[in-house]
Amino acid sequence: MALLELRDVNAFYGRIQALRKVNLEVDKGEVVALIGSNGAGKTTTLRTISGLMHPAGGSIHFDGRDITQTGPSKIVELGISQSPEGRRLFPRMTVVDNLFMGAYTRNDKPGITADMDRVFTLFPRLKERRTQIAGTLSGGEQQMLAMGRAMMARPKVLMLDEPSLGLAPILIETIFSIVREINAQGVPVLLVEQNASKALEVAHRAYVLETGSIVKTGTGKELLASEDVQKAYLGI
Amino acid sequence: MTEPTAVKRLSLMARLHLRERIRDRDQAIYGILFLGALVFPMATLFITGGSTAYISQAAHAGTWVLLAIGLNVVVGFAGLLDLGYAAFFAIGAYTYALFASSQLGTSPLHHNFHLPFFLMLIIGMLVAASFGALLGFPTLRLRGDYLAIVTLGFGEIVPVLSYNLPQWTGGINAIGGIDQPWLPAWITGPWAGANSVSIIQDATCRNPLAQTQFIPCFSFGFDPVAYYVLIVILIIGAVILVSNLYRSRLGRAWMAIREDETAAAAMGINTVTTKLLAFAIGASFSGFAGAYYGASFDLVSPDDFLFVVSITVLVMVVLGGMGNISGVIVGALVIYFILNTLLPSLASNAESLANSIGLGSLNTQKGDWPGLYGEVQRLQFLLFGLILVMIMLLRPQGLFPSRVREQELKHDAVVEEETVAEQVPSR
Repeated sequence: MALLELRDVNAFYGRIQALRKVNLEVDKGEVVALIGSNGAGKTTTLRTISGLMHPAGGSIHFDGRDITQTGPSKIVELGISQSPEGRRLFPRMTVVDNLFMGAYTRNDKPGITADMDRVFTLFPRLKERRTQIAGTLSGGEQQMLAMGRAMMARPKVLMLDEPSLGLAPILIETIFSIVREINAQGVPVLLVEQNASKALEVAHRAYVLETGSIVKTGTGKELLASEDVQKAYLGI
Repeated sequence: MTEPTAVKRLSLMARLHLRERIRDRDQAIYGILFLGALVFPMATLFITGGSTAYISQAAHAGTWVLLAIGLNVVVGFAGLLDLGYAAFFAIGAYTYALFASSQLGTSPLHHNFHLPFFLMLIIGMLVAASFGALLGFPTLRLRGDYLAIVTLGFGEIVPVLSYNLPQWTGGINAIGGIDQPWLPAWITGPWAGANSVSIIQDATCRNPLAQTQFIPCFSFGFDPVAYYVLIVILIIGAVILVSNLYRSRLGRAWMAIREDETAAAAMGINTVTTKLLAFAIGASFSGFAGAYYGASFDLVSPDDFLFVVSITVLVMVVLGGMGNISGVIVGALVIYFILNTLLPSLASNAESLANSIGLGSLNTQKGDWPGLYGEVQRLQFLLFGLILVMIMLLRPQGLFPSRVREQELKHDAVVEEETVAEQVPSR
């Protein structure tokens, strides 16, 4: 059984069905990309995994445990953390305080300090700005902080929602190389992206989501080469 | 290339410097307040030749400071707008009044309780905290305006109940004859001056040991100095407690919920218990304040806990600087001073001013003109409103905002610097 496994997950916003029988797996050591256009249900998938909303049908298993109806705080404790869409930092708290919030569920002080150092090594810019108020950071720095904050939970699966959104091309490069680096340290990453070409380059495997259902799946390379995907998402 | 780097360095330095200065400012405010609290009673006793009227007023102001510190936990730290805070104040006051007077003897319970004040401080705190959690439960799913409306309703229910349950609360007649705090006589302390000390070796202390004459006790009676010392100690205790809470894990969770509740949940914060704790802890301080109020005023009436009390405390918090404890204390003192000293004395001051600059004719009543005294008295609350509007226009972030809020207001300036710094390659 995979580390994280979604089985036939249905989700609704009121009466509108956002996910239709979504099946998705993330295994140890993988980078899995979830691509698709606006409104395809990518963020909804992440929200159902993190417990911010509950699926109407189907099941979610993590680490051999059914987490379909588990609340968000428990899920973070179990080891799934995310950098949410739009970053959702705590704008009036400092960089360091934001990072500490990421480690909220943890009690091991030495471990937290070590992880803080790890985050600062990954993102030297954050170290420079550690006493600054998060709301005053630039877009790229905010994205780094959101990722760093998610790392502070020492996750077994890291979920990144649109990390490249609204960033300059050079910063997008940086962000994706950091995603690789995080993965190289042994953290599986579930990556939601609109920037399909970049995401597929980084991902081991990928799913294509269209109006709430998975229409295609394969390795990153396969999808990059696939004609449908090229037409629909890569604009080639 | 070199120029933007220089700009960046400078701005970082400036920011660091700023931060240090602000931190010092909070310490300075605490220092000044503490010194003021020490010197104030001696100074007024000396200046007025032994009159304790000002000390009594200051002790009363202390009640409001306690209330403001408590509401600041709910509104300033956790960002939950509470418009019914007076309800908890009432609950604290009634808890003390019921268990430290003869009131319950005439109630369906037919038994008097005379529990000692310092025990009741704790009980009042616990009772108020439980009601805080009780109010918290139905409001957990509400945010912003909707939450405010529910708390508003709660704030109305409590005084209405106390009006309409006369067999318990005395209704409109209020509860009087409330016990004063007492201490064993050997801790009368330096504040008990020769003419104000009252060592009472009888039942007024409600001290079973005192009645056997083994331990004489010192009753606070109505000695303002004793109450003043008590409230100063209570406030110091509250400040220490709240500032430790603010720095704790719970304090950070409150802040996160205030900033972004969804993100806070995504970080693994249990938003339900965190919000309930904010309500309960915030309420517990008004439980303190209520017990103190009941003891020092000897009268607890439903009229003391109307909506205007909630609003006044909220004004103190907002105007002092939401989220910053020292600012909130200053805000409470300033508003109390304006409401209870400045405005009431304004009319007579205006009258004598008019006399002294030769406009004495203004003081006589003529037709529709009620005389300067009457006119100013009528305009009191218009002036109060004007003062509030002026302060908020001049210092929108409050008198002494928390560091974070202050920086946030400098946000625009910082963002401008940021775009310059952005042009510098990071490595």
